[in-house]
Amino acid sequence: MITVVQQFKAWLLLVILTILSVLLGSFFNLKIANHSLFIILVMAIVVLKGQQIIGVFMELSCAPKKWYMLLLSYIIIVPSVIAFIYIW
Amino acid sequence: MNSITADIDTANDKKVANNILLEKKLPGDLAMWFFILAELSVFAIFFIGFAVAEHLHADMFAQSKAQVHPIAGLINTLALITSSFAVALSLQAMHQNNAKLAVRRIIYALLIACIYLVVKVWEYQTLFNQGFDIETNTFFTLYFLITFFHLMHVLLGMVILIYIAKNAAQGNYEHSDKPSVDALESDNQNTIAGFESGACYWHMVDMLWIVLFPLVYVI
Repeated sequence: MITVVQQFKAWLLLVILTILSVLLGSFFNLKIANHSLFIILVMAIVVLKGQQIIGVFMELSCAPKKWYMLLLSYIIIVPSVIAFIYIW
Repeated sequence: MNSITADIDTANDKKVANNILLEKKLPGDLAMWFFILAELSVFAIFFIGFAVAEHLHADMFAQSKAQVHPIAGLINTLALITSSFAVALSLQAMHQNNAKLAVRRIIYALLIACIYLVVKVWEYQTLFNQGFDIETNTFFTLYFLITFFHLMHVLLGMVILIYIAKNAAQGNYEHSDKPSVDALESDNQNTIAGFESGACYWHMVDMLWIVLFPLVYVI
């Protein structure tokens, strides 16, 4: 059972990661960051955020593991493919 | 002797009830999850298509992306995340059989979602006023297509939230505090499945934006 405290922590993490990704974008526009590293970091943030939504908000971490893994695989595979296309 | 047998039966019933309560179950209806998977697949094609188009037209995408508003994207992301949080809290209230609190939290979620709608309309209006539309170039075609398709999902999600809030207010999701073993084992054991399905749909809409946001506004 997911608790309210866990959900609040997930929301806080989502807000922090969102602001962090915007800041990363600003750094990249100033040509401070390496392009490949920037793409990997931004997509890693997407994976972390997706994991919070799937596990905590959707409460799938308390659901049968195959369903949790199925949704989790989506939020890992899609950003990975996108990162591969941008870096390639 | 009969009393001992009855005690054993009661103990077994409690054990079975506890096992059922502790058993991991999928929130919501199975049909809604297949619908969610279908939606996610369609959007995955859009996202990958957008990335491929950007790979092929890097300069044009860079120039066009300079016209969109990252702060509008940030506000929309924060609005959807917070709205999703309110819906998650609403489901917590439903688990505690507190429909009144759940409805109030759904209303908060809807009000926060309205921020997304206002900002999105402002963003479209600003771009149209600057002379950008769906025919300007490949970036704007994909931008308007994907964000408008997502906007339609936000609107559908809001309709679903209104529907489940109405049902909750009418007491359609209420259940007994002391469920029997037979009731727990029956197919209709989950009386808030409809509410959970609506909540999960809303979280899916949020998750899609989580992927879309960096594609359009950050990278």
